[in-house]
Amino acid sequence: MPHSPIIEIRDYQMKFGPTTVIADLSFEVHEGETFAFLGSNGSGKTTTIRTLLGIYEPTAGELLVRGRRYSPKMSAMLGYLPEERGLYKKESVLDTMLYFGRLKRMTRPAAERWSRDYLERVGLADKTNVALDKLSGGQQQKIQLGVTIMNDPQLMILDEPTKGFDPVNRRLLMEILEEHQARGATVVLVTHQMEEVERLCDRVILLKDGRRRLYGTVEEIRASHGVPVIDVEFNGSFPKTSRHFEVKQLGKRSAELTLAQGAAPQLVLEELVGYAKLSLTSFQLRQSSLDDIFVALYDEPGRRAQEVAA
Amino acid sequence: MSALGVVFGFELRRTVTKPSFWIRTLAVPALIAAVIVLSYFSSKVSSDTTEQLKTSKFSVQVLDESRLVNPAVLAAVGARRAASKPAGVAAVQHGEVDAFIYYPQDLAGQPAEVYAADAGLVDNAKYQAMASSLVQASLSAKLGSPAEVKLLQAGVSTKLTTYKDGAETKGFGRVVAPGLFLVLFYAVIVLLGNQMLTSTTEEKENRVVEMILTSVSATHLIWGKIWALIVLGVIQVLAILVPVLVAYFGFRSQLKLPAFDLTQVSLAPGPILAGLALFVGGFMVFTAMLVAIGSAVPTAKEAGGYFGAAIIAMFIPFYALGAVATSPHQLIVQVLSFFPLSAPITLMLRNAVGNVSAAELLAGIAIIFVTGFVLMGVAVRTFRYGSLEYARKLGLKEIFTRRV
Repeated sequence: MPHSPIIEIRDYQMKFGPTTVIADLSFEVHEGETFAFLGSNGSGKTTTIRTLLGIYEPTAGELLVRGRRYSPKMSAMLGYLPEERGLYKKESVLDTMLYFGRLKRMTRPAAERWSRDYLERVGLADKTNVALDKLSGGQQQKIQLGVTIMNDPQLMILDEPTKGFDPVNRRLLMEILEEHQARGATVVLVTHQMEEVERLCDRVILLKDGRRRLYGTVEEIRASHGVPVIDVEFNGSFPKTSRHFEVKQLGKRSAELTLAQGAAPQLVLEELVGYAKLSLTSFQLRQSSLDDIFVALYDEPGRRAQEVAA
Repeated sequence: MSALGVVFGFELRRTVTKPSFWIRTLAVPALIAAVIVLSYFSSKVSSDTTEQLKTSKFSVQVLDESRLVNPAVLAAVGARRAASKPAGVAAVQHGEVDAFIYYPQDLAGQPAEVYAADAGLVDNAKYQAMASSLVQASLSAKLGSPAEVKLLQAGVSTKLTTYKDGAETKGFGRVVAPGLFLVLFYAVIVLLGNQMLTSTTEEKENRVVEMILTSVSATHLIWGKIWALIVLGVIQVLAILVPVLVAYFGFRSQLKLPAFDLTQVSLAPGPILAGLALFVGGFMVFTAMLVAIGSAVPTAKEAGGYFGAAIIAMFIPFYALGAVATSPHQLIVQVLSFFPLSAPITLMLRNAVGNVSAAELLAGIAIIFVTGFVLMGVAVRTFRYGSLEYARKLGLKEIFTRRV
């Protein structure tokens, strides 16, 4: 059932006092997909997740998990890694994992077996009875990750999952994510890492100022909001103005060209080849990346202001 | 097991398995025991020394102008009569005699004067002990009975029997059982207050609350913590009481502890039930208040600042103890009796001394329980919302207006 929703959000509004944080937000996350939740800081992503998980009460609208409002009784199906995260520093590794396992409705023996297997896997089997504050930051991150995925949850919500993670743990996280994707878990990634989104995610939603701005598969979004971009490498200098393209210099010998409305790449190439002060060494056409689309969308007011001024 | 049970088990186990809990718990009775042992030995050594000093031998001359000292008593200690006061003093100064005691004519109004060879700060007391004991022995001989002398010295002890509605009342014994709840309440607050305050700041400071709240409701989390605190309180009280009871009932004579007539303790159900209700309600109010404070502020350090104010609000009736015990109808006592934060201790005090009516008790208990439930709701609400405010303090307006 690739299209049955595990998360449904309908007409969700959130106000904190007179401030509207989220306005009329609706979207679905399908069972078994990996879904990216994008937006700049303060766009309302974490608030939406907290409301979905019953920590906040919505001002209006419905936020459902498997057709019901989420309650802690459903914690067995959830693996949640919040943006603000930590553990009981003075408790031992095993006691902490057992506590979270028991709260996720695991039996004590099952939680203990799972914890020991995980600690073995991440090379912390000898730290079972060590207090968490005696572990290094990287080791604590591994435990945090373990606590999140205990009980092999059907729905994983990871808010900025790689934030603060060292490269080793980032790789571990990606491995674990891929394993859980493979076994059919639904993953919601709240992230700023567009490469990860393009590599891992099936569909995407992008919030701006509490409103939905983009929603669909990665391909749909790139097709509808992306523009052709030309990556060039060169020697010399570009013409000061052109009616076919805009130049964004990336380095001394590389640049990104955005095509003007109606301009064909061939015209650009002809213009550059004919310009005496420039010698091209590479010319590659591509569709703009999610990162480009994200930046362009957030840059809209600035761009509009520039257009008005011009 | 329910989520509440998991929280309860976790909170209880992680506290009782920490050595610091037992050090904290046992430090109080250990210090009290140490003080008792020290004062017992100090008093014994002092008493033995005084006895030794009384019987220590030294040469002495006496001049008795009061005529109260019996010559036979003087002869028994080998004291010689001095010719005059200057002669006696000179004899000491020239080392002819160890001490000279001069009893003035009006011994009741003037001190006996003792002149002696310096034997050191402690040993010098033997001269004064000799001066006193010579007079006491002489008076004893005059009265003819040691019992009369004892009565004269220690006064008469009395035993009071009172009646109410024709039945004998227990006097001080009626204070004991309801008063015990006051002692327990004080002990629990002193021992657990800080733990109550920091039980929720810990989640916030460690940034663990958001993960927890998706697995257990705020209500279950807080009640799990409170039940654990109650059981920890019982463990602490038992840890203090059991050694005391074992010492009293097992080794009372060896330790020379005073005997209490337990048959004099009143076990009337009314005051005991009222004391229990006040204890439970007071505990609820205090716990809810501390949990709410802990949830509203970002760190345990900041919560500590409010702890002092909360303690003063609860224990302020002790500063008006005289009025509470003797003038229950004074306005201040009435205010303290029905103001929710001061009511538990005021009414426990009044219940113990027996100056509170049934109507006042019922009204006070109702106020305390209603306040307790309201504060508990505020604590849960503050925890749900305030615990996600990691860096700032939550205002009262936000607690009551923001949707969580």
